[in-house]
Amino acid sequence: MALISPVIPNSVRRRIDQWISTRNPPSQGSIVLESRRLYILPTRFGYLFAVMLLFLFLAAINYQNSMAFVLVFMLSALAIISLWQTHKNLLGLSVSLKTPRPVFNGESSEFVFRFSHANNAFRYAIGVQYANQPPAYLTLEPEASAEARLKIPSHRRGQFKPRGLYVFTRYPTGLFHAWGWLKFDLPVLIYPKPVFDSVLQQTMVAHHDGKTSTSTIEGDDFAGLREHRVGESLRHISWKAYAQGKGLLTKTFQGHARPTIWIDWSGIPDGSTETKLSYMTALVFLAENENLEYGVKLPGQTIEQQSGTAHRQECLHAIATFRQQDFNQDFDPDANQ
Amino acid sequence: MPTSKPRPRTLGAPNQNLPIRDIPKEVASRSGIFAVCFCFLFSIAPHFFNLPLWVSGIVIASLCWRILENLDHLKPVPKWLLATMVVFGGLSVFAEYWTVVGRDAGLALLTVMTSFKFLESRSHRDLLILVFLCYFLIATHFLFSQSILTAALMLITLIVITATLITINQRDDRVTILSRLKISGRMVAMSIPLMLILFVLVPRIPGPLWGITDEQRGGITGLSNTMSPGKISNLIRSNEVAFRVDFTGLVPPQNKLYWRGPVMSMFNGHSWYRSKRNRISQFNIGTYDEEVEYTVTLEPNGEHWLLALDIPAQLIKDSRMTADFQLISDNEINDLRRYTVKSRLGYQIGKYELLTYLDLTSRFPRNNNKRTIALGQELSRRYQNPEDIVRHVLTMFRKEGYVYTLRPPILVDNEVDRFLFDSKRGFCENYAGSFALLMRAAGIPSRIVAGYQGGEYSEVGNYLIVRQSDAHAWTEVWFKQRGWVRVDPTAAVSPSRIEQGLDVALPNEVSSFRIRNRNPLFGKLLYSWDKLQHDWNDWVLNYDQHKQGDFLRDLNVGIEDWGDMVFALMFMLLLVTGSYWLASYYRERPPKPEAYEIYFNKLLKKLKKQGLDKKPSEDSREFLRRIDSSEVNQKSQLARIVDLYNLLKYGSARQNALALNNLRSLVNSIKL
Repeated sequence: MALISPVIPNSVRRRIDQWISTRNPPSQGSIVLESRRLYILPTRFGYLFAVMLLFLFLAAINYQNSMAFVLVFMLSALAIISLWQTHKNLLGLSVSLKTPRPVFNGESSEFVFRFSHANNAFRYAIGVQYANQPPAYLTLEPEASAEARLKIPSHRRGQFKPRGLYVFTRYPTGLFHAWGWLKFDLPVLIYPKPVFDSVLQQTMVAHHDGKTSTSTIEGDDFAGLREHRVGESLRHISWKAYAQGKGLLTKTFQGHARPTIWIDWSGIPDGSTETKLSYMTALVFLAENENLEYGVKLPGQTIEQQSGTAHRQECLHAIATFRQQDFNQDFDPDANQ
Repeated sequence: MPTSKPRPRTLGAPNQNLPIRDIPKEVASRSGIFAVCFCFLFSIAPHFFNLPLWVSGIVIASLCWRILENLDHLKPVPKWLLATMVVFGGLSVFAEYWTVVGRDAGLALLTVMTSFKFLESRSHRDLLILVFLCYFLIATHFLFSQSILTAALMLITLIVITATLITINQRDDRVTILSRLKISGRMVAMSIPLMLILFVLVPRIPGPLWGITDEQRGGITGLSNTMSPGKISNLIRSNEVAFRVDFTGLVPPQNKLYWRGPVMSMFNGHSWYRSKRNRISQFNIGTYDEEVEYTVTLEPNGEHWLLALDIPAQLIKDSRMTADFQLISDNEINDLRRYTVKSRLGYQIGKYELLTYLDLTSRFPRNNNKRTIALGQELSRRYQNPEDIVRHVLTMFRKEGYVYTLRPPILVDNEVDRFLFDSKRGFCENYAGSFALLMRAAGIPSRIVAGYQGGEYSEVGNYLIVRQSDAHAWTEVWFKQRGWVRVDPTAAVSPSRIEQGLDVALPNEVSSFRIRNRNPLFGKLLYSWDKLQHDWNDWVLNYDQHKQGDFLRDLNVGIEDWGDMVFALMFMLLLVTGSYWLASYYRERPPKPEAYEIYFNKLLKKLKKQGLDKKPSEDSREFLRRIDSSEVNQKSQLARIVDLYNLLKYGSARQNALALNNLRSLVNSIKL
């Protein structure tokens, strides 16, 4: 991202960007754009304006035209005021990122950035840009907030950290470009795309280790399905119905008998790593859904049998990140050009 | 306190390669195009008086086309047509002025090309360039006028242009034009103190840096090179100020205020004109007394003469003095000119005049105005003493029914004869011209001096205002014993013209431009307004390196050289911008938190001690849910607090004192 004027050579630019990134440590929740994080340089129009002023100044000297001097000084003063106001337009802006919801691979993960400030002033034309996408512009009313939603399609499972968000402004005159980098340490977890397979379900049944006397999964305890409500625990969702395309439905239970199973890497017959993980993801949801106590066995990693939201998260995290590096996209400006 | 409504914006579609540095390439917004069209019209409008009609036509036509195109009523102008128009526009300017440089031609070319630029402007970047051109246009106005009113109009123009720039960069079409103007007005207002600091303290460099070509500028009223009947009486109708004078001592009496301009020694039977040879003043041998010193602030007159009281006794910078005591500037006076000069009101000059010059000033064509010539010759036979001849003619003017009027009958052929013997009605130029011819016919060398006579003393500012309406012409005759002597035949016909001014001499013919005849209150206002213009000339338009040096020395704060000036400049700029920063900090700082926020924060502190920290990304309900699943006492009270808090903040209970009390006691009752 060539945010710095193209006259500066690449090597210097990279060094400057590196320096910028060390001064802009990633944050968990919210970042306030303090002057430490803000940079400002003239735009090309700023330089053009300066050339025009120089020309006018020479003409004023040559013709000894006092009002031309007044104009040159007036426009210079306007540029000084503009420098300050452009900087002020970003200064003190607070940006927070809501913890992104995990998604399945192939879906778009959504990042909601909330821009807020407590100043009794308007902030106009705050540009928000991610990577090479065209920027969006926000207006902030006094003491108000605004949201920018960023959708990034996922292509691989694992923990995905978006690269820095570029926040900039040229308001009010376009002579200066102030900017800051926002980097949040809030990765989104991308689960493998679940693949439901009826044969596997049977296999899983066969893997019951017989701690309880129950032999059927779909027992009498199942009371029925109703519409899923926002805020309800995910473990009540009927993932089977979801897989059949019926949407999110909540299962209601009456019984408490808890069969236990192992979702075992080695128990899945064949296929690539990704396919196996996709099956395992589906099984975790199924098991949770069926109110089973389940554990996950991966090569070199075992999660004990248990149930509950936190347990499911742990299992899914293990599956999603299995043999997978986090993809930390950092500030390297030339990474995707 | 406005409720905060998050306004979701979705970031654009991915996979479009548009690096940040290319933001200006984006397409211009409609509102931006309208704003720039208006802005250009506003900036160029005062020039419609200075531009040929066809150029103004191009401006209007281009803007109309662009606006209709913006409204989808017209198609864009095709590229080939635009290119043709640009070529023809340039050629037309050249055909109009026979040049494309210089003030007038340059302005016309700039205007035409900017108009055409509108027709091809599509992008954000184009709009910015057009706005810059509008800023540049302001400078061109100052080439035509630097008056206070022009400056005021340009200040408004500056606000409009800056508002346009803000419109383009604001990216929010919901903002009203009025509030954009307010933002721009505030920026401009904040710029003024900085501008003043820069104006006073930026070291001035004496110009010019490169050659300035003298350019004939039309439309400037003032004395001309030649005098023929009707020329000065036209000038009289203008109330424009010719120059203002600050006297070091007392202002001399009105009848001694003869401001010397061009001296015309040649007569062709119809008009008087200046001799081509401007002899310099090595033969000015004479005696002088009654010295006065004064400073003239001369308005541009498009000519070379610097007006001075009869007789200037000192050379001034960038000028020379001719043998007939004209102060001639080296350059055409196209800008305000200020000079201090000494004159001597009692003088004797030209006693030892060159014979060739005396011969020149005695010549006249003999083939017309024969009756006048005959009268002159008769007088020379009748009187031995030339001074008697002068006396005779002046008595004739006084006694024989001559009338002083601004509206003499229009005369053709033998104008002097017809005036002297038939109509007997004339203005100063008729009297001066016929008197000088009579003298020459009688064998006395004579010449015409054009200039101004009198002036109005300003009660407010202690200076003299001389207007175009004070223009005058008189004669000088040469006597062997006394040299060149001023004779004003108008004084014989109408003494009040010289003693009191034209408006007293001709109360029915001229509407007085003098302020003293107005109603006293209004008069005071007009004097103050004139004083303001005088100060403007003095302090703004004449502020050069000398004035700057004097001013800074008078300030007595130890600013002596460039280094001091630059230091003072930086200091003052930091001081002012710092105070702006402070002011805006106090104006825009967040308001005091509402009472319910204070109580709620108190609760959050209590919870924090228990290791329950509200994350910034969580809202109060989400936080409550998290508390709910944790091991904390008094969960029901906590839920009630959160409900009350939300009611106070967003709901029906805003400003409700009872709810607030409730909240406070609840928070205080929480003991974790």
